[in-house]
Amino acid sequence: MTTRRDFLKYSALAVAATSGMPGFLARAAAQAQGNGTKTLVVIQLTGGNDGLNTLIPYSNGAYYAARPTIAIPKKDVLTLTPDLGMHPALKPLMPLWDAGQFAWMENVGYPNPNRSHFASMAIWHTADPTQAQGDGWIGRLAEKIGDPFCASNVGGTTPQALRASEFSLPSIETVDGFQVKLPQGLEGAFESMLNTPRRGEAEYLSRATRQMMANTARVQQNVQKYKAGATYPEGRFASQLRDAARLIAAGVGQRVLYVSLGGFDTHAGQRADQDELLGILAGGLSAFQADLERQGLADGVIVMGFSEFGRRVAENDSAGTDHGKGSVMFALGKSVRGGIHGDSPDLENLSDGDIRYKQDFRGVYEGALTRWLDLDARAILGGNFPGPQWLA
Amino acid sequence: MSLTPYTRPLSAEDAAHFLRRTAFGATDAQIRALAGKDARAVARHHLNFGQDRASGNPFDPAQAATPFAGVQLTRAAWLYELLYGPHPLRELLTLTWSNHFVVGTDKVRNVPVLAEYLALLRRHAATTDFARFTLEVAQSPAMLRYLDADQNRKGRPNENFSRELLELFTTGIGPYTEKDVQEGARALTGWTFRGGRGNQKFLEASEYFFISREHDGGRKTYLGQSGNLRGEDVVRIAATHPATAAFVARKLHRAFIADEPDPAAVAASAETFRRTHGNVRAVLEELLASDHFYTQRASIIRGPVAFIVGALRTLGQPPLEPKQLLNLAQTAGKMGQFLLQPDTVKGWDGGREWINDTALLTRMQVAASLTLSGNAPKLETAPTPLALLGRETPLPGTERLNDRQRTYLTLISPEFQLA
Repeated sequence: MTTRRDFLKYSALAVAATSGMPGFLARAAAQAQGNGTKTLVVIQLTGGNDGLNTLIPYSNGAYYAARPTIAIPKKDVLTLTPDLGMHPALKPLMPLWDAGQFAWMENVGYPNPNRSHFASMAIWHTADPTQAQGDGWIGRLAEKIGDPFCASNVGGTTPQALRASEFSLPSIETVDGFQVKLPQGLEGAFESMLNTPRRGEAEYLSRATRQMMANTARVQQNVQKYKAGATYPEGRFASQLRDAARLIAAGVGQRVLYVSLGGFDTHAGQRADQDELLGILAGGLSAFQADLERQGLADGVIVMGFSEFGRRVAENDSAGTDHGKGSVMFALGKSVRGGIHGDSPDLENLSDGDIRYKQDFRGVYEGALTRWLDLDARAILGGNFPGPQWLA
Repeated sequence: MSLTPYTRPLSAEDAAHFLRRTAFGATDAQIRALAGKDARAVARHHLNFGQDRASGNPFDPAQAATPFAGVQLTRAAWLYELLYGPHPLRELLTLTWSNHFVVGTDKVRNVPVLAEYLALLRRHAATTDFARFTLEVAQSPAMLRYLDADQNRKGRPNENFSRELLELFTTGIGPYTEKDVQEGARALTGWTFRGGRGNQKFLEASEYFFISREHDGGRKTYLGQSGNLRGEDVVRIAATHPATAAFVARKLHRAFIADEPDPAAVAASAETFRRTHGNVRAVLEELLASDHFYTQRASIIRGPVAFIVGALRTLGQPPLEPKQLLNLAQTAGKMGQFLLQPDTVKGWDGGREWINDTALLTRMQVAASLTLSGNAPKLETAPTPLALLGRETPLPGTERLNDRQRTYLTLISPEFQLA
């Protein structure tokens, strides 16, 4: 159990750890801009989620012609508009759509699409299609806010999006396990071992350790406030969303939380895999939203989801799809303007078998940064990117 | 230009450095046994490993009741080999190749297929023929299954393997176009495997098989070469492409030299790779006996497996119960490195990517369980600073502690996390 004294001590350690770092706390956190009560939850669908089988152009014959075995039959589509509907596994999200709290951004991508998972993921993470930047857009956002704990990943390994130039933002595998218990009598020795001056990678590691001590203290201080308000499905993704809800309820001060769901690289046997994954996605998100509602926190949270690319329009011979280009993004929350934002792709005018993107993803990010987090998006994204008006 | 050889006899600290980098770590006695020796002879001796295995491995994947159990047992059996096997360098190279020619147990769960894949990586751990190694991997049922190469049919290509062959296994991004990916996929049509398909047959062996009627025998152009190319041709063209030398050399430098390799030194190794026609063994022998190798200290952040194996080899390989070993294999996963299960086909990025709050917390727990807990292994002698840190002096702050406490704090120090 971390006491308040420990917390203050480790916070002081962390300040020592971060001083001399550009942008972090060296500028007083008092200069931090933005409204500290709003949280953005980013959902990453890893592997390239097939957008056409997620938001389905069910009135378009070209869609069915290109996908004789894996298209979603009209009768199974959850109708949203005369032309578009959702994959049946997304049924738990229908009440949010009906309440005007679920948005789809159609046909989102970036110039000169890259079909490599890793290059494309890096582009989404750094918000830089030229791939010149190493740090992530959320890392830059955290430097702007000036708090090394204002954004966290819920999961095992920190994604590039959360990398700052001198720093990795925390990853919290599970809230319950996120605490340090130093063996009795070793506290003093631990501190003097850790506080020995170091250089290079050793210095990086000692700083990361000190920061971890401060982060765990901060979470454990507050997390007892949470009582679950909804039953979550089984599985890792849902439990990570529950941990995200706990962190929000604890008021630990995180402005961005990041959760990933992997397995969308459906080169073969797509229907079985994607159907299951979309069910996991929808079940988790609907429980998360219900939980926030019951806690009275739903006004302060929005969710924004993406995948690194969509897939080829035509199915391959393995009842799967190969890497494509543009895809759909989604958002949900009480402050989200529900509906379809943007035009559907023209399936008869393709670029090398892929849809031609119409909306730059940075325009969607910009909405979250300016209209939700109250930050200067230009400084974070390196330019202005007009995008859909997906926030109220 | 080649790398400059290291000409001085090894000091105790040089020897500690060599064994940290090539054997995950070692005891004081093992380190001192190398002191005074010649760097080239030491590198050659350690690369001269056979295929013999650890005795008394308690895990037999062939006895698994389910595919999932088969994966667990395969993982634990490999961890046992890493911890207690006679050739830690061979196992380190096997781990390195498993992070290059990646297959994942999310898709590949057949016991003999995984066993054959690991045997192949061990056989070629210090391969003298990278192109042949690449072809054997490409035709292994593990890879055919993992990247859907067995689904690649004439007229309806599946590009998955063709793309990763270039992007991740040989040239890296840059030298090829989307057209090369598509033409490569055409050439690779018809490859498949038979046997061992489906969850029911997870103990049945599989073998590579070519279906000629599914092969697209037409003309292709691939990386500038044209003809009625076959799968074997495109694998050879990719594996012997000049860019492959640099791409693979950089990976070897990341495994043995630094998380951020020096471009000039990588270029020197790439040149050796090209001059010897993909003789990885020759590249490694030059590298592990170079001045560059001995001057690059504390420049690799140890990954979860290296942390666990390094701790236990430094403690003198104390015996552990099978249950503890199964737990350790899981714990490595919790720290970000499930053996045979990287997050993606790109493998683990390593370096600072290994470090985050949860991973650091878990390292502290592992260190405590190996040193302070009730079931911590009993040690004949406490590990010395030379074994733990690669230097003769202990860490400040640990001088007045008892052996177990000192070992615990040293295992969680930044210095121990680095190789």
